[in-house]
Amino acid sequence: MATDSTLGDMLRSQGVSRRAFLKYCSAMASLLALPAGAATAMADALAGARRPSVIWLSFQECTGCTESLTRSHAPTIEGLLFDFISLDYHHTLQAAAGNAAEHAREQAQHDNAGKYLVLVDGSIPMKEHCSTIAGISNLQMLKEAAADAAAIVNIGTCSAYGGLPMANPNPTGAVAVGDIITDKPIVNVPGCPPMPLAITGVIAHYLTMGELPQLDHLGRPLAFFGENIHDRCYRRPFYDQGKFAETFDDEGARKGWCLYKLGCKAPTTYNACAHIKWNNGVSFPIQSGHGCIGCSEPRFWDALGIYDSVPQGQFGSGAKLGAAALAGAAIGAGAAALARRKKAHHVGEDTTTS
Amino acid sequence: MSLLEFARGPAIHASLILLVGGILLRLLGVLLLTRGADLSRPRDAFGNFKGYRTVFSRAWPSDEFTTATRYQTAVAYAFHLATLAVVIGIVPHIEFITSLTGLSWPGLPNWIGVALGTIALASLIALILRRLGKPAVYNSTVEDFITWVIVALPLITGLMAFAHVGPRYETMLALHILSAALLFAYFPFSKLMHAFWFIFSRAQSGLAYAHKGVRI
Amino acid sequence: MSAQAAPTGVFPTFEQVFQGLAGQIGMLREMAPRPTLSDETRLARAVDTLIEETNADEAVWLESCIHCGQCTTACHYFQATGDAKYAPMRKMNLYRRVYQREISPMRWWFRLVTRPVKLKDFEEAQELVYDSCSECGRCTMVCPMGIDTASLVHHMRSAMVAAELVPPELAALREEQKRQGTVFGSSPEALRKMVDTIRDQYGIDIPLDKDKAEVMVLSSAVDLVANGNGLLATARVMNHVGVDWTICSDGFESANFGLLSGDMSLWKQQVDPIIAAAQRIGAKTLVIAECGHAYPALRWNPMVRSGSLPFEMMYMSEFLGRQAKAGRLRLRPLEGKVTYHDPCKTGRRGGAFDEPRSVLKAMNADFVELPANREYNWCCGGGAGIFLLERATRLRDESFKIKIREVNETGADSVVVSCASCRLNFEAGRQKNHWDKRVDSLVELVADHLIEGPETGAAKAGGAAA
Repeated sequence: MATDSTLGDMLRSQGVSRRAFLKYCSAMASLLALPAGAATAMADALAGARRPSVIWLSFQECTGCTESLTRSHAPTIEGLLFDFISLDYHHTLQAAAGNAAEHAREQAQHDNAGKYLVLVDGSIPMKEHCSTIAGISNLQMLKEAAADAAAIVNIGTCSAYGGLPMANPNPTGAVAVGDIITDKPIVNVPGCPPMPLAITGVIAHYLTMGELPQLDHLGRPLAFFGENIHDRCYRRPFYDQGKFAETFDDEGARKGWCLYKLGCKAPTTYNACAHIKWNNGVSFPIQSGHGCIGCSEPRFWDALGIYDSVPQGQFGSGAKLGAAALAGAAIGAGAAALARRKKAHHVGEDTTTS
Repeated sequence: MSLLEFARGPAIHASLILLVGGILLRLLGVLLLTRGADLSRPRDAFGNFKGYRTVFSRAWPSDEFTTATRYQTAVAYAFHLATLAVVIGIVPHIEFITSLTGLSWPGLPNWIGVALGTIALASLIALILRRLGKPAVYNSTVEDFITWVIVALPLITGLMAFAHVGPRYETMLALHILSAALLFAYFPFSKLMHAFWFIFSRAQSGLAYAHKGVRI
Repeated sequence: MSAQAAPTGVFPTFEQVFQGLAGQIGMLREMAPRPTLSDETRLARAVDTLIEETNADEAVWLESCIHCGQCTTACHYFQATGDAKYAPMRKMNLYRRVYQREISPMRWWFRLVTRPVKLKDFEEAQELVYDSCSECGRCTMVCPMGIDTASLVHHMRSAMVAAELVPPELAALREEQKRQGTVFGSSPEALRKMVDTIRDQYGIDIPLDKDKAEVMVLSSAVDLVANGNGLLATARVMNHVGVDWTICSDGFESANFGLLSGDMSLWKQQVDPIIAAAQRIGAKTLVIAECGHAYPALRWNPMVRSGSLPFEMMYMSEFLGRQAKAGRLRLRPLEGKVTYHDPCKTGRRGGAFDEPRSVLKAMNADFVELPANREYNWCCGGGAGIFLLERATRLRDESFKIKIREVNETGADSVVVSCASCRLNFEAGRQKNHWDKRVDSLVELVADHLIEGPETGAAKAGGAAA
């Protein structure tokens, strides 16, 4: 596709009505917390937007993020928006291979210097030999691509926070993009995988507003990651009433009670799952009966077991407490014995002793 | 490691080690001191054991002091009962205790937990206001105020975490756990040990007086 | 006073006794010994004494205080003055600091965070453990932890003895008793003279120094040098019930300034000859004169294994009560409404509650309890030697107003007490406040209401048969 056609042209050629497009823009504007009149402006801006060059780098990843974005069963506006960008390099999706593919990347970097977006999925191994593409280590490729990028969007938890490759014992020395690139604007769209709408939302925001959306302290767009799932969860009333599923097949589980005790991480997880839901609003993990695993949070893989509930303490071994008890008892008894000796030393003949 | 991970991991772990070790240290260090013997003949040869009654009877002031101690008794009871109910009654706390001990029991609905937490905090504030208002009666020391703050913090942070006031939930939860850790670590080395001492202190006096045939 | 006391005016009235004694007390201050040791030694000895005397009991009590302030509602000195420093919990602060730094299992820590103890601290604590604590134990009754502050104050007094910081009056009496075994110039000679006077003036026989006797009776310096009526009354009651009794001139002194000052060795030194004398004469009963602190000094002396002694120790009020219950006292009814003041040392800290009430009942008295009575009785404010301290006059006078209020509330015409210390303090309060109540000693009241005469012999015979 030529880079001078607009999104509007593309959508019209795909048979998307202006009405449907406006609906999408209203939803997006509202999600991004833009003012009420912004939907039309956004629609106009998007319709007239030029195709941006995008370089998608996949490092230590599972391709789940790409799948999330592309495996919709019916074409969606998100999908179409994704089709609209000039995806100049994506080694899973692109037709070219080998030198041709690498050449396309270098070409794009050169032609669109300072304007292209870098989307990254997967973490970067600091042990460079652990992951290479076309003989180029992930670290080197990231640095090269980032050098002239306008911004970097991390797709998924691996590139945002290190993800599963970084889990203990982290054999590859995996790190997040933000650990390497510090001089470029970075947006994290974490999740394992991230919500498609969150990915396109960031791109739409960038295309229409010409800037990256407002981020939280973990670099995530507030529009999608501003609220925790627990607060938006339809099972929250059960939590408030103290009604919990104790196991996955008990009465409470069948009645759809709160999964807090079964390790649901919704109270400490910030994502849009509970209100936007997945697969065109069909469902999300909690609705399907499993607690949230907190996949959009840093270190979710190591922080707490999937079935450990949020308020649980991590006590290490009980042996340490036992040892502390013994040590305390020993010191106490010793202190008392020493005090008794001190008393005996001072004791006069007429003092009451036992 | 996030603040929450630090709080519910190393922080709470270390504080529990201090709590357990410290309590035993202080209890044994005191109770194993020489026991002074009273050689005099008791008024009633088998009457001394009646002194143990004081451990329970002193849970409530005698009629003689009802009026004088009404405020303190009522507010202190409200505080202790509400705090106890919150500590062992709400689900997150039960989950915490379960992860430590394996024991578990049904929890209270949230609205009751919030009500109890509010009562506990309100009564704690009522106690400190009286302490501040009657300095001659309370003879407060710095420790009294430090202890008050350390006891109040988990209540405040807990309610804030629940109500989503202040920092984000996971930060508030971490602060709540850290404040509990501070309380655990501080407990054995402070006047909070009265949770144990009251038994021994009352029993000793009860016995000493029962020895003379006096019921206190 | 009863018309039964045949010759009147031989002995002074108690009002005169009080005034005479007040004059003597003034002289005590000049007789007080001066400190002889260096400050360092005094401090070291004080601290050592507390280390010696601190056992698990004391440690637990010192550890338990949570500064809840409730003890202030129970303390007459605090209630009378409202002064923060008289709060009972404050009286253990210095003790606690010594404990924390020397004995507590966390002493290493406390040595870092607490100030070292100085002699000046003990000097400042003197007023708290002598002037403003009669060791009455009322605060223990309200303390939610049941802390026995009185015991802790007693240990502090022991430390004060070691630090040569006993208030002058008590120090002088302690010195006197240490050297003479008795106080106020009393002596075995004074005892003999008093016995002779009573025989000559009243025709009442006091069996002195019998080789063997069932009942050994103690007297006290106050009775011997001032209040002859006390010993007279004792003799009349003893003769009335017809027991085989005696007073031993080598063990007659009830007063124990070892206990009052906190000098444990003097405490023991005073008690030993009494116990030896009682054993020698084969006594079955030792009757302690109406001298409140003598009761704990003997009956509850923790250093005396009294369970294995062949005799029983009892307070005068206990003896009278048992005689009354056994019907061996023939008494005329008591006129007017009376109330009874439980001395701290025989009541709350002694357990002799029922017997004095039995005596009043035997006199068909119109008896009314004080609003706070028995275990909850308010201290008169003069106990534990405080009556003797000139410096404590204001505290005593102010706290006695509580007692006046309590007695007035009952509507009684007279208060019966069974403790010389209480009685002196009541007398002081009565005179200073122009109080219209009568204050009677239990034993003197009984003596004055004895029905003597032909029936006495029958009662005697009956008593002997029983």
